Amino acid sequence: MADFLNWLQHTWLATSVNDSLTLTALTSATHVVGFALLTGGVIVATLRLTGLAFTEVAASEIAATTRRGTFAGLSISVFTGALLFSTRATMVGTNSTFRIKMALLVAATLFQVLVSRRLVQRGAGPRVLQATGVVGLALWLGVGAAACAFILLE
Amino acid sequence: MSILSACEWLEHTAVAVVVRESLWGFPILVGLHLMGIALSVGTLVWFDLRLLGIGLTRVAVSNVYRRLMPWAFAAFVVMFLTGGLLFSGYATAAYGNAYFRVKMIALVLAGLNALRYHLVTERTIATWDRAELPPPAARLAGGASIVLWTVVILMGRMISYTMF
Repeated sequence: MADFLNWLQHTWLATSVNDSLTLTALTSATHVVGFALLTGGVIVATLRLTGLAFTEVAASEIAATTRRGTFAGLSISVFTGALLFSTRATMVGTNSTFRIKMALLVAATLFQVLVSRRLVQRGAGPRVLQATGVVGLALWLGVGAAACAFILLE
Repeated sequence: MSILSACEWLEHTAVAVVVRESLWGFPILVGLHLMGIALSVGTLVWFDLRLLGIGLTRVAVSNVYRRLMPWAFAAFVVMFLTGGLLFSGYATAAYGNAYFRVKMIALVLAGLNALRYHLVTERTIATWDRAELPPPAARLAGGASIVLWTVVILMGRMISYTMF
């Protein structure tokens, strides 16, 4: 693992980003834009799943619309996050707060794809959809909180 | 009083000293500021997408606004409060930072864009509230909002990397 992280940190892409303050800052900024897009989509979907808004439209329709924004945001965040990680792989790779963030990211993504999406498509009952929305939002906010804690403790 | 001397005064207030000198204050504020901007802009984007006729098109524009804005505004309050506190700690450095100035210009333009939408464009909403594709003025407001808030976020992160 240590060898892989060391190799990653010395790849051309990682050193190019690391050597340029502008590239690092732009990558970090795009990472936040991606996260904003992601959480916005999750919030809108959660409002519909919990029955707090947009009840005149089927939950599956709102979920399908917001899913595009959520996955666009997730793709941007993961790509830029991987770039940022590569520049300091040996240090960040062993950071426990970062590992918690990654665990929450995997959990939130799997919940979105394997649980939430299927339950909405199957037309689960309102209580189940409410719980799904709340758990999904909590997981994504947990990713954001872990990201902030990472900044805080770094 | 010039803007620079106002920044110097602000930087010497008790609150600014706490922000600057406490071990946890600054990073906690940065974390809350980032969460605030992600949640507020992330939610606002969906209203902008509705204005553009791209998302939530089967919901009335006024309904999208009414349902989303309370959440966006709550996050905006967190963003502006924490942003103001962060600024107070490093006001003179921020004032001299080009990215900070661009961010402030983009913030003001975003505010003016929202004001124009509410004062002018929204006055005729009864005629296009349920239209899948709102009129050009509404689409322009939505598009400008997305661009300006993206600039605010981009410049915000540039400040973090160039000011300290």
